[in-house]
Amino acid sequence: MTETAKAGGGTGTGGPEGPRRSLLPTDRRSLTQTLFRFQSLFGLVVVFVVAVLASPQRNGELIFLSLSNLGNVVRAVSEIGIIAIGMTFVILVGGIDLSVGAVLGLSAVGTAILMVDSGWGVLPTVVVVLLIGAAFGALQGVATAVIGIQAFIVTLAGLQVARGLARIWSGGVGVPIAYGDGPQQAPPSFEILRGSINGVLPVPAVIFLVLGAVAVIVLRTTAFSRHVYAIGGNEKAARLAGVPVTRVKIAVFTIAGLLTAVAGIIHAGQLSQGSPNDGIGYELNAIAAVVIGGTSLAGGVGTMSGTLAGALLLGILTNILGLNNIDANIQLLITGLVIVAAAGLQKLRRTVT
Amino acid sequence: MHRLSRPALLAVTALALAACSVEQPESAPPGDAAAAECGPGRDHLIGMSQANNAEPYREVMNTDVETAAEAVDGFEVNVADAAQDNSKQVADVENFITQQVDLLIISPNEAAPLTAVVAKAFDSGIPVIVLDRKVEGDKYTAFIGADNTEIGRQVGQYYAQTLLPQGGKVLEIAGLPGSTPAAERAAGFREGIASNPAIEIVATQTGEWLRDKGQAVADALLKAHPDANAVYSHNDPMAEGAYLAADAAGRAGDLTFTGIDALPIPSGGIKAVEQGRLKATYVYPTGGREAIDLAKKILVDCTDVPRTTTLETEQVTADNAAQVYTQLGGQS
Repeated sequence: MTETAKAGGGTGTGGPEGPRRSLLPTDRRSLTQTLFRFQSLFGLVVVFVVAVLASPQRNGELIFLSLSNLGNVVRAVSEIGIIAIGMTFVILVGGIDLSVGAVLGLSAVGTAILMVDSGWGVLPTVVVVLLIGAAFGALQGVATAVIGIQAFIVTLAGLQVARGLARIWSGGVGVPIAYGDGPQQAPPSFEILRGSINGVLPVPAVIFLVLGAVAVIVLRTTAFSRHVYAIGGNEKAARLAGVPVTRVKIAVFTIAGLLTAVAGIIHAGQLSQGSPNDGIGYELNAIAAVVIGGTSLAGGVGTMSGTLAGALLLGILTNILGLNNIDANIQLLITGLVIVAAAGLQKLRRTVT
Repeated sequence: MHRLSRPALLAVTALALAACSVEQPESAPPGDAAAAECGPGRDHLIGMSQANNAEPYREVMNTDVETAAEAVDGFEVNVADAAQDNSKQVADVENFITQQVDLLIISPNEAAPLTAVVAKAFDSGIPVIVLDRKVEGDKYTAFIGADNTEIGRQVGQYYAQTLLPQGGKVLEIAGLPGSTPAAERAAGFREGIASNPAIEIVATQTGEWLRDKGQAVADALLKAHPDANAVYSHNDPMAEGAYLAADAAGRAGDLTFTGIDALPIPSGGIKAVEQGRLKATYVYPTGGREAIDLAKKILVDCTDVPRTTTLETEQVTADNAAQVYTQLGGQS
């Protein structure tokens, strides 16, 4: 398989995750490989341990490890995490989606307007917003796969279009969401997005973890995932081998749009507002999560569990820097260095193993 | 065979363990953070949640807060920058709640998205001082802000009585459409010039608060209205941009330019007035010093504070520019 060769010249015929080996390293080379294979998970563990060690204390308890704080961490990262899941599929086929931040803004605006101004119920609103996101993604998929324009260009244009649509639809200002049964009020059941299960696990975090688990399974077990890896590894070869390249590419962009709409709905619920200017720069955070997770921007190599670990790593990093009141500019620096370090390790992985 | 990865297993396990009782946000456990006890001789940690450090006005606000806090024994301020992202600002405030800061100062990016988390801080016993932009509802301790309509009105009166007493044509370069300050600075100005019907606003275009946009917009406006007498800009950077456009067209001497904000920084409006590019600007106070004054009353003096503090503006012209610059704490 192409992705196996790319992942490190392994001799096995492993699945998408690369050559399958025993978890227990038998020699130095496979130890290195094991370390690299689980790079982002190790990174996550390392950052977690550092966060525990660096956590400020209160009454002898570590603030970082408090349930409410851990809940905050996953909740804060849930939107970027959900977007990063879709982004992983797109990047695995060798594409990129720069439109996600703007589509998140568009979805949040749509959610607020349909419920508040149009008086729709939660279910029709959610369905229509998801359809808008999916349709937007599908159109970008068609422009990329059928017309053959580079994904970078298509989604850069898509970013502008989605942002423009969001501003036109909302009149340029945020649409506040108030809850109640009256006119100009959203159904109170939508407020569930601001709730938490047993008061500990925020609902957006649950949605993120469920979607993440589903995506991990999809990317490990389905024919679709094998097609995704094959296209990212070598599109021409995949086409010759009978992979429905066009359909799969349209599908991954549709998935990305759909998941971004999910994040947009959560965003509107979290902030009680649909703002056309929200989500600026989210595409870069999502791409960062994917890259830290070990997925190659060249396509064909990467894992979903890595992306989830990457998103959580970024969330923990932001949280612990904030808890320690590190200067905002230094925070930017550190986050940047972590991304470079992750990408550097990927490069090393290809050289060493 | 495919194995599930560990995070996936963990996620599935966590979900299986979690029962299906979803608690609404209102039912958060009360008394999580007890109100800090006030009094002299204690250390007080103040969390400052800033909407966007990248705006000079907000950077000056941070500096004002930090400088004023340094003068109070036991005050320590931690600034978190939300980088203009509502979600980030919610997370920043949550961090301050987790840290149980003794007082929260917040300059919200937008009202509606921050209302819930500010209420959460307030309900957990943290006094909250809201700066510049409001939140909705009444779950905060004090609000400090300036009156943009009043500032616009004063600029308008200056045009009506001093700048263009014989009347004239005014070009208006407006702030970001949909933003409250832009709407209020526009409305106040119209009230202010109403006493002089000979003054006419011949064109209004948005410069989105930005110097470069102001310049581009002024380029076009100056061509379309060769007989214009003055440029009323909703802030100083756009006024400076308009001046640059007029200068490039060789018309800087024919027009007068006024701005609003008067930040005490080298690139701010006060220096532009002092150096003659702008005829006048109006101080839009940050409220940073006033916020620390209130914080001292709450945390050290144990006294009540006013619910709303409205800050006064001040006109800056060539006569008082140097003096205002120093008075506002500007470093030359």
